Amino acid sequence: MQKKRTYRKIILNVVAIIVAIIMLFPVYWMIISSFKPNAEIFAAVPTFFPHTFTFDAYTSQVGASANTGSNIYRSFINSVIIAVSAMFLSCVLAIPASYGLARFRIKGSRTFILLFLITQMLPATLTLTPLYLIYNRLGMIDTYFAPMLSDMTIGIPFVILILRPYFLSLPKELEDSAKIDGCTTFTAFTRIMLPISYPGVITCAVFSFLFAWGDLAYSLTFVTSENMRSMTAGIYNFIGKYGIQWNCIMAYGTVITLPVLIIFIFLQKYIVSGLTSGAVKG
Amino acid sequence: MAKNKKKLSKGNRVGYAFVLPALIFMLALVGFPIIYNFVLSFYNMDVMTMGQHTEKFIGFQNYTDLFQVPTTKTSIINTIVFTVGSIVFQFILGFLLAILFHQDFKLAKPLRGVLLISWMIPVTVTALLFKFMLSSSGGVINTILVYLHIIPKPLDFLVSSDLAMPSVIGINIWIGIPFNMVLLTTGLSNIPESYYEAAAIDGANAVQRFFKITLPLMKASMLSVIILGVIYTFKVFDLIWVGTGGGPVDATEVLSTYAYRLSFTQYSFSKGAATANILFVMLLVVGIIYIKLIGKDEVMN
Repeated sequence: MQKKRTYRKIILNVVAIIVAIIMLFPVYWMIISSFKPNAEIFAAVPTFFPHTFTFDAYTSQVGASANTGSNIYRSFINSVIIAVSAMFLSCVLAIPASYGLARFRIKGSRTFILLFLITQMLPATLTLTPLYLIYNRLGMIDTYFAPMLSDMTIGIPFVILILRPYFLSLPKELEDSAKIDGCTTFTAFTRIMLPISYPGVITCAVFSFLFAWGDLAYSLTFVTSENMRSMTAGIYNFIGKYGIQWNCIMAYGTVITLPVLIIFIFLQKYIVSGLTSGAVKG
Repeated sequence: MAKNKKKLSKGNRVGYAFVLPALIFMLALVGFPIIYNFVLSFYNMDVMTMGQHTEKFIGFQNYTDLFQVPTTKTSIINTIVFTVGSIVFQFILGFLLAILFHQDFKLAKPLRGVLLISWMIPVTVTALLFKFMLSSSGGVINTILVYLHIIPKPLDFLVSSDLAMPSVIGINIWIGIPFNMVLLTTGLSNIPESYYEAAAIDGANAVQRFFKITLPLMKASMLSVIILGVIYTFKVFDLIWVGTGGGPVDATEVLSTYAYRLSFTQYSFSKGAATANILFVMLLVVGIIYIKLIGKDEVMN
């Protein structure tokens, strides 16, 4: 019996490893291809580890900067600016809103919650055309604001749907005693409630960053000049221009994925909790 | 006015102060655009009429025009095929993996976490990565399949009109498996272990336990995973736009890519708006079913 159980566990471990290898192979392939020279990529027999290990695909992008504008590093900075500000502003607007919806019996709160739930399900395509025309009239095409504000429309409803139940689960006595100690409603929120709900807040920040970081539709549509483009729009235009320089494209892809991998390594548990409580898919 | 103010208690006013900024933002950037999109779909706004300010109300003409173009029907059917194909396999494979990783063994937790990576990678990157791996010259998937004698010669996965749709579905399955797995794992771990023990004592085998205990108790989480999957797959844009561009011809054109093409490569804004509205109506139906099914409790409490 004991032996049977050990066998079973060995088999389970082996099966799980095989599954993981199959599922993660594409990611491995992207990373190692970015370190190959293009000639090796088109070799008849593919190399599962680069024979010639080179940083060419990364360094060739540095010089390409000003004129062609398809520079990895410039667009990386653009993406960081857009995604970090979208994350920050989504949280600034949505965290108090989730608190308000959790703690106060306000008129219409049910309708508000339902509206936020519905907006979370809407396709970007639905608002793309009207937003383009609106931004165009306001002279906001080709600014960081256009994709940033649009990305926030994905982040905000998500934050509210995650954090409202979170605030509801905290005991109300906490605030009451804070108020007895001289806090106002607002300072009770910022000094007491916010710090103790930091796991929920981190989950929200991570997801609103990831939404904005992965967005293609908004930045492709609202940003036209090449040196303003985000990474996703940059890599999309790169294939149009340079065709199949797969090593460069994979280098580009690796750089876009890098922050995501770092977030994954350090904040994995927040991602799982966000996924299960918000049930999102970017 | 004064009476109204009295009605709003202090708590009410403070509550609104917390909620209103986000609400106003969403009304301005989502609510208003949706209405504008609706209005737009009844005008003949394109890059010409916009420049000359000659756009005018044309009623349902955009919709009747759209349904005379075969691409519209194709993209509706493609949207459904893409969604159903993706969901069926994502769900089955996700469920199998959820069961696998629900077992008690050493690598279960770390590996389950690592699998999430395929879901987290920006979809644009995933699309290009698979475009690379599936290409008929130098694509590693072709090389492996030929090496294993599964196919005689490299296939043009994303370029041939027969294979493009199954291929993009395949890529989307790879993205969606972890999502299904994680949500279903949560459902599995909510089933009390004692149920299984009792059934085992009564002599139920593993298959019976699965069909008599696991499936019935998983009903709620299975439903919400499937419907959420449908909602998120309906609106997929970047995967197809980057992977195939809706082609070859319109073999993988879905409503979201078609709407994008009409608005931003043909600059027929009103036609794009009308197409997006068709997608919106389809989503609305699924969304209403979802909200009905998960019940008011879960949304409101």
